[in-house]
Parts: sequence; C-alpha cells; structure tokens
Amino acid sequence: MSESATTLLRAPEESGGPLPGLDRNAVEALVASGPPWLGQRRLEAWRVYEETPMPTTKEEEWRYTDLSKTLRLGELRLLPRQEREFAPEGAPALLTGSMRSDWAAAGHVVDLDGSVAHTDLEEEVARKGVVLASLARAVETFPELLEAHLATEALPASSGKFQALNAALWTDGVLLFVPRGVHVELPVRVTRWFSGPGRAVFTRTLIVAEEGSRVSFVDEALSADFPAQTLVSSAVEVFARRGAHVQFVSLQRMGRGAFHLSQQRTLADADAALDTLNVSFGASVARVDLNAELRGAGAHSDMLGLCFGEADQHFDHNTSQDHGAPHTKSDLLYKAALDGAARAVFRGIIRVHPGAQQTDAYQTNRNLILSPDARAESLPNLEIEADDVRCSHGATVGQLDEEHLFYLMSRGLTRAQAERLVVTGFLGEVLSRLPLGGVVEKVSGIIEERLRA
Amino acid sequence: MSKAPILSLRGLCAKVVDEDVEILHGVDLELIPGEVHALMGPNGSGKSTLAKVLAGHPGYEATAGSVEYDGEDILDLEPDERARLGVFLAFQYPVEIPGVSIANFLRTAMQARLEEEEELDLFDFQDELLERMDLLDIDPSFAERPVNDGFSGGEKKRNEILQMAVLRPRLAVMDETDSGLDIDALQVVAGGVKTLSAEDPEMTVLVITHYQRLLNYLRPDHVHVMVDGRIVRSGGAALAENLEAEGYEQFRASES
Ligand SMILES: Nc1ncnc2c1ncn2[C@@H]1O[C@H](COP(=O)(O)OP(=O)(O)O)[C@@H](O)[C@H]1O
Ligand SMILES: [Mg+2]
Repeated sequence: MSESATTLLRAPEESGGPLPGLDRNAVEALVASGPPWLGQRRLEAWRVYEETPMPTTKEEEWRYTDLSKTLRLGELRLLPRQEREFAPEGAPALLTGSMRSDWAAAGHVVDLDGSVAHTDLEEEVARKGVVLASLARAVETFPELLEAHLATEALPASSGKFQALNAALWTDGVLLFVPRGVHVELPVRVTRWFSGPGRAVFTRTLIVAEEGSRVSFVDEALSADFPAQTLVSSAVEVFARRGAHVQFVSLQRMGRGAFHLSQQRTLADADAALDTLNVSFGASVARVDLNAELRGAGAHSDMLGLCFGEADQHFDHNTSQDHGAPHTKSDLLYKAALDGAARAVFRGIIRVHPGAQQTDAYQTNRNLILSPDARAESLPNLEIEADDVRCSHGATVGQLDEEHLFYLMSRGLTRAQAERLVVTGFLGEVLSRLPLGGVVEKVSGIIEERLRA
Repeated sequence: MSKAPILSLRGLCAKVVDEDVEILHGVDLELIPGEVHALMGPNGSGKSTLAKVLAGHPGYEATAGSVEYDGEDILDLEPDERARLGVFLAFQYPVEIPGVSIANFLRTAMQARLEEEEELDLFDFQDELLERMDLLDIDPSFAERPVNDGFSGGEKKRNEILQMAVLRPRLAVMDETDSGLDIDALQVVAGGVKTLSAEDPEMTVLVITHYQRLLNYLRPDHVHVMVDGRIVRSGGAALAENLEAEGYEQFRASES
C-alpha cells in the first residue's frame, strides 16, 4: 500500500481517541445515533449475541474451523462510520486497478473500511426508480424499506451468534432496490477496501428486487496483508420477488491476516431466479454461510462457488438449499483448488420440506489437491421430507491426474503449463455457469496470475 | 537413394514402472520419412505400450534397446520435448479436460513451441486454426468446446486429427484411431490423415489398427504384426489382407 493511501485511510482514526472494542458501549453509541426501531433491533441483537455461546468444534457446523484458535474478537477495534469522499488519486493500486476493469456497470459503490465513500448510478437507471445507496444513509431516506427488510426475514439476529453480532454493530453497507418490472442491464459493482490491521468491520448488503425485475450485483472485497488480524463481517440479504432475476457475486480477495465472515441468505419467491457465485481467493480464514431458500413455486437458484487456496489459508463454506415450495430447483457447484498447506471445508445440505413436491435439488463439490500438505473436507447432506423429488449430491477430492498431464504434454505443453491449464479449466467450469460480463475475465485473470506466481 | 530413417527402434524392451513384468520383448522397427506403416496384432500384444513408450508416457520404462528419432536417442526426453520435436500420438482413449476449450489448449500448445520470450500472435493462430478446421471440414464452433468433455467416440477421434493438423507432426502414431467408429466417422479420420499426408509428403505415420477398412484408405507401405511384445512378421499391404482372412492364430502357433 502506498504512503498516501495509508494517510487517506487512516486519517479518521488519528483524529479521534482510541477506538472502541466490541462491547455494549459500542452498541449503545450506535443506538444513540439512529432511529428507535433500529436501536431496538441493535440492542435485541446484542442480547442474542451475548446469550449465544461461542461456537466450538463440537458443533457440526464448526467442526473444522476452531474459532478459539483463529478468531481474536477481544483484540479487535471498531472504526465508527466516517463521512468520506473517495479519491482515486492516492488510493491503493490494487483497489484502483480492480475498479478500472469494472467500468461497464450500471452503478458503483466504493466502501472504505466499512463506510460508503462513493456511489454512482446511471441516470437512466435511477430515473426508473432503482436505488443504490449507503445503507446508513438509507436508514433516513428509506426507513420503511429498511425496517421491513433489515435483519428481519432473511438474517434476523436469531439465526446465529455472528448474525446477531453483525445486526448489533453494523456501521454501513449497501442498499440496492429495483422496482417492479425494471431490468438493469449492466451489473452493479461494489468495491470494498479494508486498510487497518486489528479492526473489526461490520457491513450489510440488502438487495430487494421487486416483481419481474432483473439485476446483477458484484461485491468485491480487497485489502493488503495485515500484520494483525482484521475481521470483516458481511451480512447479505437478498429478496427476489415473484419472477425477479437476481445474480449475486462475491469476490473475496483480501490479504493474509484477514478473517472474512460472510453470512448470506437468499429468498426466492415464485418463479424467481436467484443465482449466487462466491469466489474466495484471499484472507487467512474465510467462512461463508449461505442459505438459499426457495419459498415460492417455480423458484430457481444456481449456487456456485470456487476457491483457490495456498500457504496456510483456511476456507469453510457452509451452504443450505431449502426447498419450501413445489416445482423449485436448486443446483449447487462448489469447487476448490488447494496448494501449499491450504484447507477447504465444504458442508452442504439439501432440505426438501413437506409439500415441496416436484423439486430438483443438486449439489456437487469437487476439490483438487495440488500439494501433499493441502487438505479438503467435503460433507454433503440430504434431508428429504417430500416424496416426488429429484435430488443428488456428489463430492470428490482428487489430485492432478497423470493421464491428463501426459495428454497435454504429448502436445508439447510443459508440465507447468499443463498443470496450469488443468487447474484453470477445473475452476473455470464454475465461471462458465454464470457468464456475467467482466466477472469471468477478472476471475480467470486472477487464477492465471496466481498460477504463474 | 535411401533416406535416413525418422524413427528407428532396436531391440526395444519395456515394462510398466514399478512392476517387474516386461511387455515389449525386443522390438525392431524402421520408418523412413513419408512412409505409412501399419502395426497390427491381437489385443494385449503391446501395441499401445509401444505407442506410449514412443510418446514418453511416465508409466512405462524402456529396459533395453534404443529409440532413435531423427538420429537422436529420445528415451531420456520428456513427453513435451518429444512433441516439440515433431512426435505426435493420437490417443486410443483421449482424456477429457473439463473447462479447457480446444482452442485454448491448442493455443497453449503452439505457444509452448516458441522461445520463452516470444508471444504467440493470437490473430495468426486464430486464422491458422480456422484454416485447419476448414481443411478437415470441421465446424468452427467445435474449437470452443471443452477438450473431449462429453464428446462421442467419433468427436474424440476428430479432435485428435484436428490437433494433428494444427501441430503438423513429422511422426504421427495413431493408436486405434479407427476403433469404435461408424463408417462416416472412419471416413473423416482416414480422409483427414490422407489430406495431411498429401499436404506434407514427408510426414510419417504409424497406424495401429485391427481393421483392414482403415488400411484400405491409407494404403500402408509396410505392415507389421505384433504378438506378445514382439514383431513376428513384416510385409507389404497384402499381409494385412491375409490377417483379415486368417487371424493371428497362425503366429501364436508358430511361436510355441
Ligand atoms: N499400466 C499397465 N499396468 C499393467 N499392465 C499393463 C499396463 N499397460 C499394459 N499392460 C499390459 O501389457 C500388455 C499389453 O497391453 P497393450 O499395450 O495395451 O496392448 P494392445 O494395445 O496391443 O492391446 C497387456 O497384457 C496389458 O495388460
Ligand atoms: Mg491398445
């Protein structure tokens, strides 16, 4: 990170006193600065957080991620929300470089250390009533929308300890609202930059796509390496109303030292198509909890994920596909390529609730192990309470196949080129399932860059 | 005037790495540039093993004898080094590489042939690929498909021929490229090889097959019969016809 970037991003902290920790005082400060309904919600969330024990490896969902060894909540400090202007001059090269490739967008958001510093939206899109805004500001400008959707149906505090912590302490985030019948052609691109070591950032994303609307949302998290742990907790709530088409993409490219915690819930009403892609390249520990609920007849969700780990990176993807209505379909494909001593955990459950007849639910997890010290755990699961369903799940953990490499080398590729091509293809297969402009190129580029390193 | 052989095997013995059982027990073979040779023989006689040893498959090991390609012993070379010298193996069972398009694969293969600092001109490559597909009557969309992924038997073999057309080998070893193909697919394969031979009369082909029908198209200059890891008989095109009628039992009997 350049010197000027450090100044740009550190300034607010130096002007105040020492930063608060994650405690009741911090919640109360947030409560005091917001409307009563939100204050109530924060306090209630804090109560749930305090009452919920810290998950241990004795719990199935945390069996392979030991929070007592990996998460230092007590040492983390909160940075209050800042009013900032994003200035590309002096911003870190990783941030500006990444943004430069995202020009083809309906709108942009830049988030610096958990505070939205910039938003723009195509005039024509704005005129149709689409809203892209800082969530903190939307508390004042769209109070009813937020009161109805924020930490209510999708990710209420009761859904878990970290969901509760986020609901109590969030400082800012993104609101995207697409009115009925409006099609937003280009994706909305959010870029987040995290600068300070030792911090905890709580951010939320709320996407409401009204009946028959269409929108794509790409959320990218970036940082340099941190000398001390930094926690980024991200809560994502996506509502796709009847017949809406929504694509949500998360690109996680944080530096080492980051603990990335992403809790996502997608709710698809009748005939909605709600697809997600989670790409995890960075952080020391990255945990994604994704629950996709298909709650209206004819709803459809493609759930894609890819991760590429090296050194001592640890990824834990925990997914569920909840079918609560008939004629619903979900199709999940998560892939991990692991080098060094990296570790990936995939735990996925398909739940078909009573009455959800004529359901198709598929789940595939594939892991490619590139080094003797890398490891993958794959835990697929099914809970079927309807009788007329088509479900399948499959999991593989494998190494590079010598026959594949021989085939490629027999055409003149060096071993290194052959390995790169196989890995690129292995992960690229996921991208080909969600051919979103800009994302495929960007992610393929990152994979290739990483394979060359 | 006799040309120097492009490939010359002397007393080649080979086995599977980590196993003690020898599969090839002393193979002698000489191929002159521009010739078409057929290698026939019953299942399990060692034909694929020979093809893989020539291409440098890491699972096999030459235990005696030599393999000279263009006057140089190539047994110590890696498969990619051999390929870059012009050796090509059309696989009996081409493998699937999901997520990698044929075009991307071939582009990387062509890039690998250049010096490290040289960059392949992508427009030239694209033109060349389209020209090669046109020559073989292959639809341009074929190159965008992932390598062999979900291909029918015929498509896999067509892909092998396309790769051969782009890479322009000096020596092509074709391992049962005809097996499992219907007559249309067979014509595509045979027609492709003939087109490429006509284009480059110096290209040498060693075709491994059980069937006369491919040889009817390719008209080999020499036919060799392999039984139990040895070449037991060599002759002209008539030998293949004789095999079609009589089978391989005659050679087995003569051995014991
Ligand atoms: N990788 C291997 N491991 C063990 N045995 C093998 C291997 N490859 C070939 N063989 C054996 O070597 C013999 C020749 O096989 P192959 O070369 O495939 O014959 P062909 O192609 O003529 O049918 C067979 O008995 C086969 O079982
Ligand atoms: Mg064979």
